[in-house]
Amino acid sequence: MNTEMLAMILAGGQGTRLGKLTRFTAKPAVPFGGRYRIIDFALSNCSNSGVNTVGVVTQYQPLELNAHIQNGASWGLAEKNAGVTVLQPYASSEGEKWFQGTAHAIYQNIAYIDLYSPKYVLILSGDHIYKMDYEAMLAYHKAQHASLTVGVLPVSMDEAPRFGIMNTDETNRIVQFEEKPKHPKSNLASMGIYIFNWAPLKKLLMDSYSTDGRMEDFGHDVIPAYLNRNEPTYAYAFHGYWKDVGTIKSLWQANMEFLEPDNPLDIDDRNWRIYSRNDALPPMFITETAKVHRSMVVDGCYVAGEVDHSVLSQNVKIGTGSVIKDSMIMPNAVIGKNVTIDHAIVGERAIIGDGGQVIGSDDDIAVVGFQEVLGRMEEDK
Amino acid sequence: MRESEMCAVIDLNEPSQDLAPLTNERPVGTMPFAGRYRLVDFPLSAISNAGIRTAGIFLPRSSRSVEDHIRSGQAWDLDTITGGVFSFPYVATRDYSDPVNIHRYYDNYLTFLIKSKSRYVFITGARNVSNLDVNALLQFHQASPNPISAVYRSVPTTMADPDQEGFVLGEDNEVIGFAPSHELPERTSDHTKPISMQMYLTRTDYLIELLSRVQNSGEFTRLPQLLHEEIVSAQANAFEYTGYCATIHDIQSYYQANMDMLNEENFHALLFSQRAIFTKNKNEAPTYFAPEADVLGSLLGTGGQIEGQVRHSVLFRNVTVEDGAHVADSIVMQSSHIGKNAMLSCVIMDKGCIVGPNVKLQGTSSAPIVLAKGTTILDQAAAEEVLQS
Repeated sequence: MNTEMLAMILAGGQGTRLGKLTRFTAKPAVPFGGRYRIIDFALSNCSNSGVNTVGVVTQYQPLELNAHIQNGASWGLAEKNAGVTVLQPYASSEGEKWFQGTAHAIYQNIAYIDLYSPKYVLILSGDHIYKMDYEAMLAYHKAQHASLTVGVLPVSMDEAPRFGIMNTDETNRIVQFEEKPKHPKSNLASMGIYIFNWAPLKKLLMDSYSTDGRMEDFGHDVIPAYLNRNEPTYAYAFHGYWKDVGTIKSLWQANMEFLEPDNPLDIDDRNWRIYSRNDALPPMFITETAKVHRSMVVDGCYVAGEVDHSVLSQNVKIGTGSVIKDSMIMPNAVIGKNVTIDHAIVGERAIIGDGGQVIGSDDDIAVVGFQEVLGRMEEDK
Repeated sequence: MRESEMCAVIDLNEPSQDLAPLTNERPVGTMPFAGRYRLVDFPLSAISNAGIRTAGIFLPRSSRSVEDHIRSGQAWDLDTITGGVFSFPYVATRDYSDPVNIHRYYDNYLTFLIKSKSRYVFITGARNVSNLDVNALLQFHQASPNPISAVYRSVPTTMADPDQEGFVLGEDNEVIGFAPSHELPERTSDHTKPISMQMYLTRTDYLIELLSRVQNSGEFTRLPQLLHEEIVSAQANAFEYTGYCATIHDIQSYYQANMDMLNEENFHALLFSQRAIFTKNKNEAPTYFAPEADVLGSLLGTGGQIEGQVRHSVLFRNVTVEDGAHVADSIVMQSSHIGKNAMLSCVIMDKGCIVGPNVKLQGTSSAPIVLAKGTTILDQAAAEEVLQS
């Protein structure tokens, strides 16, 4: 088999900063925007970019992620001699292969990558919300005769100290990498998106793990090694909506931005659709007692209360007299009657009994966890 | 191949002339329903929920929309390695006075039935929208004396369409006659009539024998007619279906069945029961409700953009209702667009219709205005023209 470019999505993150939302699920499987899970963006970008061989590297709580991805058919990725493969850590005669870091996870899956003998390997993270054409990035990589191309996002100089910053020369060649610099020299933040020529990367990883085993992380170890060895390493600037949803606050914020009619993510763009695995659910039912404004609602929802500036995911029920404001409600959550929810994220399958209150603020988003039950419902007669 | 318990025949050759213009380019079976579905989803889901993995689809004259919808049958678990969807094309030019063609007509059914290696066959159309438990029908059949079972529902005499056909039932609830509803005796206990749902269950070998017999006789009788005769001569066991059912046979019944889904009880009975209704999946974005949106008592599909007022209506996916528009008691199909300050009441808009700003279209619930697929009405003069024609 010969595949020009194969993608590896690093989806093993525990997402501890998402607290109760990721207690039973991996971060890339966290719901977003009513119909999606975070990893749908990377998978759909692959599909739309013609990258049809994708390894999804998982590690932490992979059950829901596995159930979601299945054979990749939902993203049009279930072709012969291609498709999505979920890659779990495994034990071999050399011992356990628990992933120590991003680069180590690739090292452990060399056998999988070599099955397809790709010329290029695209490394992606499974926890970002964005639409990006990886084919265009590959064209750039080839035009520059690069060995490594790093996707970078121009950020404001104020924000730059929070990111890994790439300092480049006038040809966009990366000359220096600084992790969270106090006094940044550039505003090009690494997006954790890399295109590597596979042969030299494989050699670097093999050499490292047959000696000192230091090449654990791309940002921390591999990029500095490439720069030291003078490998042609270029920055590819991405101009568009990109959001890391690694914290409760940023996840909430991304969902609120998703509600803006002129959100640059442009979810309605039919030329770059975001696909997901969806159950066949009835259309949304908006009852005679409902009020819905400035909100996104999807199939399977039953709304009898008021919903203002909020995102409702599949199969969410909102009882009469309840008010949902500035919140994101995840799939299969049931909200009883006369409940108030404000500035909150309500986790999957959570149940909020009649009269319940879940109230947060701009600085402190309230969270109801996965399957958490608050209060109880009165019996319907 | 493993022998399977049941296979299904879905015959999509159903009368559609009274549903024009909605059926100009599609059979009754692919008419959009309840904001998300096509009518054929109901029989396909019923067989899927009963564990049936082999279905023969007898295609109508216009089959493009059927093929596009069903594809591999994956949405109904019909794309398994044993079984699958087998479609049989309709040949409009076929002359059934020619013995070769008569022979071929029965051969299509026979080949499918023999190859299915099933013990029982469930036969249905798509125009009776319902959520039938086919396994319950099978159990009923297995416990009943006669070789074929037929499904009916009890319709109050006052509601029965005089032309719809039903059963004359004998003392043991067996079918002894088949006639239009106005000729049927009323059941005095509850003032209802047993109306046929055109769904049958029989042993596969029994149907094979029946079809072979007719094939060899040289006569030509289409399967639905054959079954009408057979249920009387074999005194079919009559199985009563008690859930929600609507027969889609004209514009009025189609409109009413969609409006029925705005009643929560009907909605839950048909669409939200333990037997889910499956359909082809579309990756639409969520529906956006703008600050001015004002929606009550309605069903909406995904991908919509709602800025205006919507009352007691069924909106399919990807519908836009612009600012100031009022939509009431209407059915708006996929990708239709309603312009600023337009006023629609009791209108059925087929797929991809455009109603321009300030246009008023006012139908009645007994005579809704129907806009054929792709109709564009940019101003009131154009609206009057469409209403005249």
